[in-house]
Amino acid sequence: MELQAVLMAAGGGSRMMDLTYNTPKPLLPVGNRPLIWYPLNLLERVGFEEVIVITTKEVQKALSTDQRLKTDVKMRLDVVCIQEEADMGTADALRHIQQKIKTDILVVSCDLITDVALHEVVDLFRAHNATLSMLMSKVHEFTETVPGQKGKKKAGEQRDFVGVDVTGKRLLFMANEADLEEGLVLRKSIMRKHPRMLIKTGLLDAHLYCLKRSVVDFLVHNNTSKDEALLQLARERSCWNDHRGDMSEAYHGGKLRCYVHIMEEGMCYRVNTLAAYIEANRVVPKLFEDPPIHPSAVVSERSLVGSDSIIGPSCQISDKTSIKRSNVGTSSIIKEKVKITNSIIMNGVTIEEGCNIQGSVICNNAMIGRGADMKYCLVGSGQRIEPEGENAAVQRSAGYTTRTRTHTLHFCSSAVFVLNPAFCVCVYVCTLTPMSAFSFV
Amino acid sequence: GNAPHVCSPTAIRSEEARMRNMAGKAGRQSRPRKADKDEEEKPLQAVLVADSFNRRFFPITKDQPRALLPLANVSMIDYTLEFLTSTGVQETFVFCCWMASKIKEHLQKSKWCRPTSPNVVHVITSDLYRSLGDVLRDVDAKALVRSDFLLVYGDVVSNIDVSQALQEHKQRRSMDKNVSVMTMIFKESPPGHKTRCEDDDIIVAMDGKSKRILHYQRAQALKKLHFPMNIFHSGSDEFEIRFDLLDCHISICSPQVAELFTDNFDYQTKNDFVRGLLVNEEILGNQIHMHVTRDGYGARVSNLLMYDTVSSDTIRRWIYPITPEANFADQEGQSCTHSRHNVYREPGVSLGHGSQMEENVLIGRNTVIGANCTISNTVIGANCVIGDNVTLDRAYIWNRVHIADNVKVKQSVICDNVEVKHGVVLSEQCVLAYNVVVGPDITLPEGTVLSMHHPDEEDDEDEDEFLSDDNDVGYSKDKTKQKVFNPAEVGSEGKGYRWKSSSLDDTEEDELAECIWGLALSADPESDSESEVSEGSHDLGSHPASPELDDVKVFQNEVHGTLQRGLDENISCDNLVLEINSLKYAYNISLKEVMQILMRVVLEFPFQQQGAQISTAQYSSHLLPLLKKWAPVFKNYVKRPQDQLDCLASMEEVFLECETHWAALVKVLMSMYQLEILEEEGIMHWFNQGSTTDKSQQLRRNQGLLKFIKWLQEAEESSEGDE
Repeated sequence: MELQAVLMAAGGGSRMMDLTYNTPKPLLPVGNRPLIWYPLNLLERVGFEEVIVITTKEVQKALSTDQRLKTDVKMRLDVVCIQEEADMGTADALRHIQQKIKTDILVVSCDLITDVALHEVVDLFRAHNATLSMLMSKVHEFTETVPGQKGKKKAGEQRDFVGVDVTGKRLLFMANEADLEEGLVLRKSIMRKHPRMLIKTGLLDAHLYCLKRSVVDFLVHNNTSKDEALLQLARERSCWNDHRGDMSEAYHGGKLRCYVHIMEEGMCYRVNTLAAYIEANRVVPKLFEDPPIHPSAVVSERSLVGSDSIIGPSCQISDKTSIKRSNVGTSSIIKEKVKITNSIIMNGVTIEEGCNIQGSVICNNAMIGRGADMKYCLVGSGQRIEPEGENAAVQRSAGYTTRTRTHTLHFCSSAVFVLNPAFCVCVYVCTLTPMSAFSFV
Repeated sequence: GNAPHVCSPTAIRSEEARMRNMAGKAGRQSRPRKADKDEEEKPLQAVLVADSFNRRFFPITKDQPRALLPLANVSMIDYTLEFLTSTGVQETFVFCCWMASKIKEHLQKSKWCRPTSPNVVHVITSDLYRSLGDVLRDVDAKALVRSDFLLVYGDVVSNIDVSQALQEHKQRRSMDKNVSVMTMIFKESPPGHKTRCEDDDIIVAMDGKSKRILHYQRAQALKKLHFPMNIFHSGSDEFEIRFDLLDCHISICSPQVAELFTDNFDYQTKNDFVRGLLVNEEILGNQIHMHVTRDGYGARVSNLLMYDTVSSDTIRRWIYPITPEANFADQEGQSCTHSRHNVYREPGVSLGHGSQMEENVLIGRNTVIGANCTISNTVIGANCVIGDNVTLDRAYIWNRVHIADNVKVKQSVICDNVEVKHGVVLSEQCVLAYNVVVGPDITLPEGTVLSMHHPDEEDDEDEDEFLSDDNDVGYSKDKTKQKVFNPAEVGSEGKGYRWKSSSLDDTEEDELAECIWGLALSADPESDSESEVSEGSHDLGSHPASPELDDVKVFQNEVHGTLQRGLDENISCDNLVLEINSLKYAYNISLKEVMQILMRVVLEFPFQQQGAQISTAQYSSHLLPLLKKWAPVFKNYVKRPQDQLDCLASMEEVFLECETHWAALVKVLMSMYQLEILEEEGIMHWFNQGSTTDKSQQLRRNQGLLKFIKWLQEAEESSEGDE
């Protein structure tokens, strides 16, 4: 066994709380499969037979019950549970399972959806006897309008600076713009070894790493650092040769070497924001060979389901309903005369007749009342949107108080104080406030 | 002053002639773009600056301007002109200042001023030029350039074909009207490459796609490279930081460059210009781009190390088609033959029995070489006489040089009319300037520079301009006009004065006094980087506890100044103490530090005055009188036993830094003991103290010191016995 696979599936999904406050991130449906299915599938495709899954109790339960996972995933899953509240970083988690690690490891995050040829990363690792090799891809520009996000992303957003050598493989430098206020500082000795450094921005760290076993040991012994320790390693002056012109030893005698494979094309998403979630849902179904409509779904002949949509098992789609560019999850019920475009309907959702849903995300077990008209909304899990008129006033005021927030994360916490949670939960009639995303606990 | 005046040796030709000339060339340089025909019609012009505006080549350039120094037996300016001509330049303005008449004379005789020359050369001279900035302001004032032009120095050797870069430049300018004003040409040469010399290290940050320069810095003195964030806000997502480039000092400039120099009269050097433009990019909206060549050769002979490199590259044919046998300067009698192992001979060379020209050798016409000589990697000029059993390696011997028997020369430059008598050995990096005589039977140490000009005479001549070294002024008074040749320096029959290599720690301005050879050999890059790595993550803590605070530094300088003044003006020790005390309060320095710094300043005093190269004997002979003179000052601070220990610790620290002078330590100790500044108990205590580092242990094992300690012990015992 050359590499042990480790799947990190305990992350809380703190950057998309609206979706994850009662569905753990690994179980969020993407293209009607739980998110965790994708990295597992990635590993299985390249022939791993066993994977260590670090996750929470809740996910573990789901792993053993979810039909789809049971049938699709043949690998042996060695599930290690950690406490949800522990807030462990990657490094902590690795420390936690140090006993189980016998060889070099391949660490994958549960929110990675990619069609990368994994051997590219592993080959780098092997070819250079690297300390670490990782995967990056071009950052995607998300084109869809995202609930709760106003306008385009701010231009001044902080970028990651990744420095690679002239081959584009050797990682020399990694930092976030936020840490570089003083300017970018490089040692001359690094420049002497790698006289030509490419600095790239606009790259996404896919959180897929090949690591030497010694790195895990290193982490164990350097207890203080968290995730940082990994980056620290990458930043250490770990240098190699390829040098022309002088005759010094290969890799300049350096011991640490980090490599990166940058995907120029192909798909690579990290589903850790709402925008990425929506985008992934839109793109992923095209990759499957399964029929878009699950055989067990009941779809009325007098409805219109676009070929760019997928319908999950045991759904009921009634007459005169039109569904375009949308995903409908397991056991959802769509009543008559409903129009759904560009939306994600999770599992067990009921949509009453006459609704018009556009660009929205409806979470598990939500109920949308008759005649609702939603544009770019997010309805939290288990919420009920009552028919028009009954709660409109309150909802609007909620809309006003929260609309000013640009970040969805902020206002779920603040909104709790504005509204009585038992009272009402979501806003619709969003023609007034077309871009808002609410979900209240 | 003399006003600049244009002087075109080949009277300016009629416009028709120029056009005809163009037509002849048109076939050769087919240019695809037709859109901007107007631009194309204009002949390519060049501005050649035949002055370096610095004194790197002093004392050689006291007799001959740098542009005329021979490189592989051809004047450097001829290489530059050949490069310009072959790249399609049709009109060149040569700007001269230092020894302008010599350059003018040379050009008038050269092929460039023959009527057949495809490149019309105008010489413009003025004594008023003090920098590149002055030249370009004059270009602007005279409205000499009509279109994009090449800007080069008169010491650039290159075979780069700039037409591609020129095309890119024009394209950029037509796309974005007048935004890009300059395209700099770089040659790819990774660190460790022969043409790299630490002096000229530059670091460039550029936009990965547009090749726009975002940051340009000379990196010689820097350990860490710092890039301001705003350069990354150009909207690109790919940047390149390059440390593998050699600035060829060839740039394609638009006429705006000259205007910008006029507008910004504080721009003196190209460095000023580039930095100024990049910093003010947002305001002025001008950009600089770059072109990198991999195959072409381009280098500026900016110091003797580069002279060595470029010469040997010429002989090894890296600058093809510019090779020694090509005789591109078309001078009579210079056509030479090329044979195996890159051995070139001009006509009339005679080689004695048993002499070998191993490889990479060029020998000028009518040179006579004796028997059993070994010559490798060497250039010898015309009409030289070389004796028997001479070994030459990496020697650059100019014209009419006489070298007697049994001479050894290694990596040195020997100028015209020098006489080297028998048995002389020149170690690495020696320079014998014009007309010097050396020997017989003397070995010149590494880095010796000899000249017939006395080092001090420059002060009389022209102290107004580029550099007035503060250090010089101090001691030139001491040894005024002792213009006698020192046999210890040049040999019993020698003629010449020894030039001290100027202080290297003078890093404040980039083009200031730097030594004639580059820095590359002094600092071994390998070991340097190794130590850096081992220092590793904690840079700050790596230096031993020497106080690095600013105040302390300033205080140290002040103390030095005070003592210096005390010496010059003969101030009494009491007053010195008063001054030092007031400084102590001004900079908030503790008593212990005062003593340590005082110790350090005094011990380093001879270095400050005489330069760091002085021998141990000179050092102690200089220091001991000072100690005696300032003994009361010391006594004022060194009172308690602890003070003595601090004082000794500081002394140890200073001596650990200069290993070569350990022999002087015992003399210092002895003298301070005799002056009753230090007592034997203190010294013994210090000596027996556990020393922490290897080096300080080594210091304590020093023979002289052991003897001194033993003597102390005995003295102590005997005095105890007396009681």
